[in-house]
Amino acid sequence: MVKIAIYPPNSLILADLLERRGHTPLVLQKQIRQKIKDPEIDSPPMNITEEDPIKGLKYAAIEVPSGVRGRMSIIGPIIDDAEAAIVVDGAPYGFGCIGCARTNELSIFLLRNKGIPVLEITYPTNQDETYVMVNKINEFVDSLEETAGEE
Amino acid sequence: MSQNLTMSPDLGKEDWDPDVITRMIFIGPGARVSEQEVVSEFHMLGLPLTIKNTCYGSMISGKSADVYKAIEEIRKLDPAHIFTKERGFAPGDPRRCRGHRFGPREGFHQMEKEYRILGFVSEALENPKEVTVEEKKPIKVDEFKKIMDECLENK
Repeated sequence: MVKIAIYPPNSLILADLLERRGHTPLVLQKQIRQKIKDPEIDSPPMNITEEDPIKGLKYAAIEVPSGVRGRMSIIGPIIDDAEAAIVVDGAPYGFGCIGCARTNELSIFLLRNKGIPVLEITYPTNQDETYVMVNKINEFVDSLEETAGEE
Repeated sequence: MSQNLTMSPDLGKEDWDPDVITRMIFIGPGARVSEQEVVSEFHMLGLPLTIKNTCYGSMISGKSADVYKAIEEIRKLDPAHIFTKERGFAPGDPRRCRGHRFGPREGFHQMEKEYRILGFVSEALENPKEVTVEEKKPIKVDEFKKIMDECLENK
């Protein structure tokens, strides 16, 4: 079982495909759940506390906007734990909780630079492209299993 | 939208339990089961879960061991069309529940977009095959020039 970071980190399709193969997708929702269950947060609806930009300093410089650092305090631990990564280019993640282009760029940069196996694919728009995406993910996961088996 | 931020949730004992997780169950296009069938199946399993019927499928919440066991069983109904995803907030949490706030919850937009290709993914899982897709290339300069000239002539 390999811990695989996915991008977009809240993707249904990526998380589901990996779980089907018995691997652990590192998803944003688990981080959020830890956050909202933290009894130390005075006002739980405010998910980002003043501590978070400080934690985010591990991943981004002080000049980086606090919004990016705050997001990195949640996405950063996913990158730390990742043993492999799947990045989907052109995915519709410009919405909702991760609609921050700079955080997305920084996270993908950190994943690429981590020295772990990274699969980069394009978000499909039709049936044939979806076949290619699913096949590539399955091949990537198989190659990870082989590497883990050799070790 | 301050109402969305200042709401104070009244969390129960289960909401604070770190072992309790919530999963969303999606029924993809062309599924052979309905939302109601999935919910009934969850009830029939007899596991201590909170089960909720939703527009996209259902949502279950409970101890992680029970939730994973239930998902394993429910996938057997239609393996290629039932998809699951983790959810950060518990069902009915006032910070995300639409009954207590304005507009769709944040994760809905991602879900809505991904649902559009969910049918293709189901097809790829059900009938796997090798496909080669022609890579899109920019048009050649000469051809582009020719089209431009034609357009200008016909103006």
